[in-house]
Amino acid sequence: MIAVLMWYMIFSKGMNSSDMKKILLYTEIDYAQDAISLMEVARQLYKDEKTQTYALVINGNKTCLQGVCDVILHLVDDRLHPFDQKGICDVVSELHGSYHFDAILFLATPMGRCIAPAVAMKLETGLVADVTRIAHGSEGLELVRPAYSGKIMAGIRITGDGPVMMSVRGGIFTYTPSQVVESKLITLEGLSYRYGSITVKDKKAKTIPYDIRESDVLISGGAGVDDMKELEVLATLLKGDVSASRSVVDKGMVSRALQVGQSGKTVSPTLYIALGIHGALQHVEGLKDVSYIISVNTNRNAPICSISDIVVEGDALTFVQRLVKRIEKGQQL
Amino acid sequence: MNILCVVKFVPDVDNFSYNYETHTIIRENSDMRINPDDACAIGFALKMKKRDPQTCIEVVTMAPSSITPLLEDILRVGVDKATLIADPLFAGSDTYVTSSILSRYLSGAKYDVILTGSHAIDGDTSHVPSQIAQCLDLDHLARIQVIDEERFATSLARVEVEDENSITTYEIAMPSVLSLTREAAYRLPYVRYKNLELDVSDRITQVSNSELGFSPEEVGFLGSRTKVIRTYAKVYETRDTILVGPDDSGIDVVYDFLKRNEFV
Repeated sequence: MIAVLMWYMIFSKGMNSSDMKKILLYTEIDYAQDAISLMEVARQLYKDEKTQTYALVINGNKTCLQGVCDVILHLVDDRLHPFDQKGICDVVSELHGSYHFDAILFLATPMGRCIAPAVAMKLETGLVADVTRIAHGSEGLELVRPAYSGKIMAGIRITGDGPVMMSVRGGIFTYTPSQVVESKLITLEGLSYRYGSITVKDKKAKTIPYDIRESDVLISGGAGVDDMKELEVLATLLKGDVSASRSVVDKGMVSRALQVGQSGKTVSPTLYIALGIHGALQHVEGLKDVSYIISVNTNRNAPICSISDIVVEGDALTFVQRLVKRIEKGQQL
Repeated sequence: MNILCVVKFVPDVDNFSYNYETHTIIRENSDMRINPDDACAIGFALKMKKRDPQTCIEVVTMAPSSITPLLEDILRVGVDKATLIADPLFAGSDTYVTSSILSRYLSGAKYDVILTGSHAIDGDTSHVPSQIAQCLDLDHLARIQVIDEERFATSLARVEVEDENSITTYEIAMPSVLSLTREAAYRLPYVRYKNLELDVSDRITQVSNSELGFSPEEVGFLGSRTKVIRTYAKVYETRDTILVGPDDSGIDVVYDFLKRNEFV
């Protein structure tokens, strides 16, 4: 047994010192479809270098990255829950002890954002949260993330021996597989880890009318809108949905599920109508590949205006009422 | 019961000074305030103290000494004591080092629970609460909106966490690290007029590295596992913009645009 272990350690060390970069992707059962974006992060991290990607799937659908990822590490244990920071931190650290990953990637989900820092602490390595861009500069790998409510972008380098650790939000990186990979399935057995004390006593699902990430047209309200209901009429006429900026969500006017931005969702509609939205970086970070932007703002110098195709300088709700009338008139003709 | 609140003072994100050369916030010059999520944590602790006056609340923060007046105001609303972890050696510490420093202090402190916020409005990494839990080998839950007050002083706390899809009630063994969000209904009260000048200086303890005993290379920039190499205000690709008013001709421009692109 010891001989096998020694061989394995030498072998895996050897693998590491060669060109092969090993990357662990932590997947969560509820975010299986977003996990593929971690493949794009892996690709951008090591560009043309040889890589081996490992997806850790705990009690989830082991086919989630099948055909995309090189190795699927599958762990089945009903007692290990996705919210068990202590337990999952042990599992990831234990795996790192065997595989010596060059990078460990997390989705910035509510749980991913808790587990990643704990793992980084345990492995005594640096972690960068909410990475939006990967750059290879003169000082080596640079992970770019927004800070100070998105007013500043920071390029961060991980110093020390690694592994490189980061979390990324879903929808930021898009992966296009170039070929179907024959994924190797490894069922994890005999790992040593503990269980935390947390148990679920009750879970109530919330009804979410629609997913703004799927919407083709978004009518989005910001601080300049004091009645979000009025936006629905325009949204219906344009066959779109209503979304909001953080300030509207923070005021409790709409559900957080409708929030666009760094702390909300990244959206890619064909048409985005920004009503009374200032367009701080943290909001604009949530707009990706939007074909057309129309913004309505009392301040024509608001940041959102410079990235808009049409700027209407004026009150947002007045605009909505007038445009609704105009569209209705057009329909009658 | 001993409640320990680990909090952060943050710059007003609309009005702060930033040193683009050292890539650090100029805390001494910026308008600082308590992080909103962390204020909820103290708000909840004060609520529990109201239920049981025997409760002792200690607020712990790592910050330059210049934030002392803000700590004093927290003591003036009923918090029992405050610990300010401050040392010039700690300047420039990343989240890894910050968590290590806080945890070293906490490992010698007396607590039945550690309360924190979930997100800080400045860095918004949410690393430190999880990392403290990891260092102290405690369980951790974040984004808590409700804590069951009846059961709080028992060995199992019951909390509600709301995310965009569901509301989940968890039970978690104490002591643990519980991180609240500003959406929780617990508020930090304002200082009462009669207490505005209350002398609370004897309730603040300053802890420096001479008590914590890190070597200089373990903390600050040197000990950090991440290094900010570049900071900049992001510039977006601008578009050729048509500027109109909300009058009839402006509405026509928008309507024609929508029609041309087949939205109506």
